[in-house]
Amino acid sequence: MRRTAAVWAGKATGVLSRFSRLGGGTTLPGDVARAIDPDVLRKLSRDLKHGAIVITGTNGKTTTARLVTWLLEGAGHSVVSNRAGANLIFGATAAALERAGANGRLQADWGVFEIDEASLERAVDEIQPRAAIVLNLFRDQLDRYGELESIAKRIEAALARLPDESHAVMNADDPRVAEIGLNLKRKPLWFGLDDPTVATHQLPHAADARTCPRCGASLIFDAVYVGHDGVYRCPNGDFARPAPDLAATHIELHGFDSIALGVSGVRIELPLGGLYNAYNAIAAFAAGSALGFEPTFIANRFGTVQAAFGRQERLDAKGRKLNIVLSKNPAGFNETLRTAVDLAGGHWFLIGLNDRRADGTDVSWIWDVDFERLRGRARVVVPAGNRANDLAVRLKYAGVDALPPETNPAQAIDALIAETPEGETAHLLCTYTAMLDLRAELVGRGWAKPYWET
Amino acid sequence: MARHQKTFTVGWLYPDLMNIYGDRGNILTLLKRAEWRDFDARLIELGRGTTRRMDEVDVFFFGGGQDREQALVYEDLLEQKQPPLERAVAAGAGVLAVCGGYQLLGHYYQTAEGERFPGIGLIDVRTEAGKRRFIGDVVVDSALVDIQPTTLVGFENHSGRTFLGPKAKPLGRVRVGFGNNGEDHTEGCLQGGVLGTYLHGSLLPKNPHLADHLIRSALRRRGITDLAPLDDAVELAAHGKILARSAR
Repeated sequence: MRRTAAVWAGKATGVLSRFSRLGGGTTLPGDVARAIDPDVLRKLSRDLKHGAIVITGTNGKTTTARLVTWLLEGAGHSVVSNRAGANLIFGATAAALERAGANGRLQADWGVFEIDEASLERAVDEIQPRAAIVLNLFRDQLDRYGELESIAKRIEAALARLPDESHAVMNADDPRVAEIGLNLKRKPLWFGLDDPTVATHQLPHAADARTCPRCGASLIFDAVYVGHDGVYRCPNGDFARPAPDLAATHIELHGFDSIALGVSGVRIELPLGGLYNAYNAIAAFAAGSALGFEPTFIANRFGTVQAAFGRQERLDAKGRKLNIVLSKNPAGFNETLRTAVDLAGGHWFLIGLNDRRADGTDVSWIWDVDFERLRGRARVVVPAGNRANDLAVRLKYAGVDALPPETNPAQAIDALIAETPEGETAHLLCTYTAMLDLRAELVGRGWAKPYWET
Repeated sequence: MARHQKTFTVGWLYPDLMNIYGDRGNILTLLKRAEWRDFDARLIELGRGTTRRMDEVDVFFFGGGQDREQALVYEDLLEQKQPPLERAVAAGAGVLAVCGGYQLLGHYYQTAEGERFPGIGLIDVRTEAGKRRFIGDVVVDSALVDIQPTTLVGFENHSGRTFLGPKAKPLGRVRVGFGNNGEDHTEGCLQGGVLGTYLHGSLLPKNPHLADHLIRSALRRRGITDLAPLDDAVELAAHGKILARSAR
């Protein structure tokens, strides 16, 4: 009874919230329902016919969840999943509520939930997932999450509580994730990249996990793929990258358009750009394999996936193409910059930096981003967001000529459109709420769809 | 033969491990502002196990680290870096130490359990663990007389409470934020050529006047007393934004 009351109260809140345009109704219903029945998510999760998959890590959660969902739907399953960014326990609860029927029962075959690192322990406990994917651990919003170490410990505690028959699907290339996985009682299913042609040999400045967890020596990186993710070993032989069970090989990168990679004898052509998406693809592939899907089926399905909201989302604006790419921490930003400048050959940019709670109130991290990559390559850079002034300083010290900072989203877009020639693509690299602000403006102009329709 | 160029050298203590709060911004600001004045600006990275060329450094930078990283540099700091750092400071080199670096240059850090980890005692400060973390924007009215504007802005994120002894003077008084300890309204410390502070953000990019103070102070021993003015409109606009919103 209590569950039914909680479900109804939550559902009513969701409808009201969307109706009143307070937002997409993505988390508030979860708050309400959990207040009435704290066990509502546990109960709803038990209704899932086949079970659930949770996805955590600093970067790539939304896209990986999208891939797993797309895979399951392709096999004819109904899937309940939380919407981009609503990845606290309340967001997962809200998603489950939305799909619950009048009897308070959740009607779906699978749950696919992206879960914030800090909420993982509770989520594992309540959802009892069949697989937990850990993508990576990078520095992100230190004012909010605290240091990497405490997050890693929480993830480790969460994974230790996975049901016995469940799979931990983990990134072997991330030293801090590997350290967690090696401490688990049961061996994880490791994934990684194996292709020296897309590797560099220099760690970026903001790399965090660069020392051996056993002896403290600086790790030797034989390949660096994304951030501190690569092929590494301790010089004293105390620690090394675990051999991936599933490795992406023969990787081809085509700007923001697509990547291709080989795994388990099949070739995946993913219509999403950037090396970082190779990790999302191989992670989702590994989870799919663990759940018994055939490699050929997974590869075919991944070939038709669409980008998630604000993740390489393409729009048309007065004859220009806009490419919105969420970029929210140094590791992520370095990759989206690399993709936009080196792979896509971009010349027109808007960089959006906000300092609201969801972005992190401390903007120091922009000094860890290699904006120097834009120097001499970008023709126009519009610093935007409520901390556009800080970006303008960062760009000045990176030797990048930028337009004056523009804190007003409408004027920032106007400046970008005015400078971008017709037929060309402008890249909008933004933190989370800066992306929401710009998108709201684009929706207002009829250039983008509201996010509950994406 | 090319005209002999004046050099300006920054020494970065543990750049790979003590770099948590965008500390590279401080390094870039010092180097660029020297370069823009036609100095040959050089960076010496002082990782674990090296004390090479520490005597050439004009300004040292020592940033904050995560706990794991801080533990890794601790031994090296006490056993290797301390003597050459003390010699350089005695000879007039400057030091900017932020957060964890600031704490490690003091007498000790005392944990919540009462355990004391000695620092190198280069400055007369001591730090004790606090329960609550101080997180947020900071505006400081600076005690430095040679900087214009007289305010400093930044962001703090620390649980340590730092108290100054008689030899250390406060860098300034907090107008907004917690500062050294949340009790006495002081922020940071000045002692000889050493400047310790909890402010990151990064600190120097939005406080170009403080960057110039550090450069000028360190170059004085080489007879350079004046720095050519630069156009700081972009930096001071960012500085002003923080002042304005903190005043609301």
